[in-house]
Amino acid sequence: MAELIGGILILLGAVLHFSAGLGLLRMPDPYTCMQAATKAPTLGNMLVLGGLAFYHPGWTLKLLILIYFVLMTNPVSSHALARTAYRIGIAMTPQSKVRAQPRSEA
Amino acid sequence: MIRRAGITVVVALFGLVFASVAFHHVERQSLPPLSLSYVKLVPQELGAPNVITGILLTYRAFDTLGEVAVLFMVAAGVGLVVGAGGRLGAGSHVEAREQARQASEIVRTGAQILAPLIAIFAAYIIMNGHLSAGGGFQGGAVVASCVMLLVLANPWQRLNPDFLGSAESLAGVLFVLIGVAGAILAGGFLDNRVLPLGAFGAFFSAGAIPVLSVLLGVKVGCELSVIIDGFRV
Amino acid sequence: MISNVVLATGFGLILTGIWGMLTHRNILRIVIAFSLIGTGTHIAIVAIGYVANGTAPIIDRALSMTDAPAYAVDPIPAALVVTAIVIGLAVTAIMLAYAIRLYDSKKTLSIDAFTESRW
Repeated sequence: MAELIGGILILLGAVLHFSAGLGLLRMPDPYTCMQAATKAPTLGNMLVLGGLAFYHPGWTLKLLILIYFVLMTNPVSSHALARTAYRIGIAMTPQSKVRAQPRSEA
Repeated sequence: MIRRAGITVVVALFGLVFASVAFHHVERQSLPPLSLSYVKLVPQELGAPNVITGILLTYRAFDTLGEVAVLFMVAAGVGLVVGAGGRLGAGSHVEAREQARQASEIVRTGAQILAPLIAIFAAYIIMNGHLSAGGGFQGGAVVASCVMLLVLANPWQRLNPDFLGSAESLAGVLFVLIGVAGAILAGGFLDNRVLPLGAFGAFFSAGAIPVLSVLLGVKVGCELSVIIDGFRV
Repeated sequence: MISNVVLATGFGLILTGIWGMLTHRNILRIVIAFSLIGTGTHIAIVAIGYVANGTAPIIDRALSMTDAPAYAVDPIPAALVVTAIVIGLAVTAIMLAYAIRLYDSKKTLSIDAFTESRW
């Protein structure tokens, strides 16, 4: 029973990773690519590690620490990249409509 | 068009060679004689549970010294190639930009939480080189990634080249001195039996291998930090 | 069987890197393809040293000292790859330094702009 739940969680994580890869190929500009490459893999990592905890209950504390570490590092690095890309002037795709801040103050 | 066809032909030919190698590869059933002797000798003579670190830091330690020299040359080369182009010429305009550009709050806060964790992780990898997977090279690379995170979070903070240079040179000199002590007191250059072997699997064991791991980690970390610092504007 | 699959993966990465290096015109993408070739070579070297039903050559609870000669994987390719990875990082750093200087000289990152070395 625990293995079934763990298996379903790992399958969901794999589906999220696949959709992240698909999004990375199909998105039009760097900003939407970074969105696809950060949000989906972070959640996918967390689900896979959580599903693994059902298979090996003795590893739960280590896996929770790993999930915390992934949650801390992925968004921070993606934010640093996206902010730098906006500041040096990489153009947004023509389909986006809202500009939040002038580039010099980002 | 011609270029595309040429590229396809080249990749296809490489693919044929690789496919034949991968197809006819037969898995080994037992170790070759040299590896067998290493796997037997490293736990018995050197007292180190990790066979790979025992090979890298005792039996083939002279190659490790050569790799460290190659890393040093690369660090000097990066500084030469990037720094010589007048990029650092406009001094005043660098200062003006320093006031305006500050790292974002997310990166600064994230660096405050993550930098100690990464430093502890690097120290753990270096110190456990002889017990489990790890060692000087890997730990040195993690040290450099911690330095890179701090550089990203504090863009105006300059790394001190004198400290990095002297730490790196001191680690290299101590490495060679332990090697010479091995030649005088024990079996040969960089033999690890200059220090007592201790209990198998304990933290302070395997002679000079933990000391050599620490020195290697410091040296590789300093060199990679110098490389990272060479790329800053 | 396992080592054949891993060896094929390593060779696949090398082929992808060679294709990428020959096709792309942007210098940074060529550097990434170089790095792919390096990673594929490391995987292929470690895969050659696999012994059937073997485990890592580290003596701990899973592998005792008496079982080690029969069940350990070849440690020599792994030791070679350990230093090769760090040297690969250093070579990538030198290539990026050259890319910076090339951009400074002609203000473009396309490799078609640099025709001095063509015959």
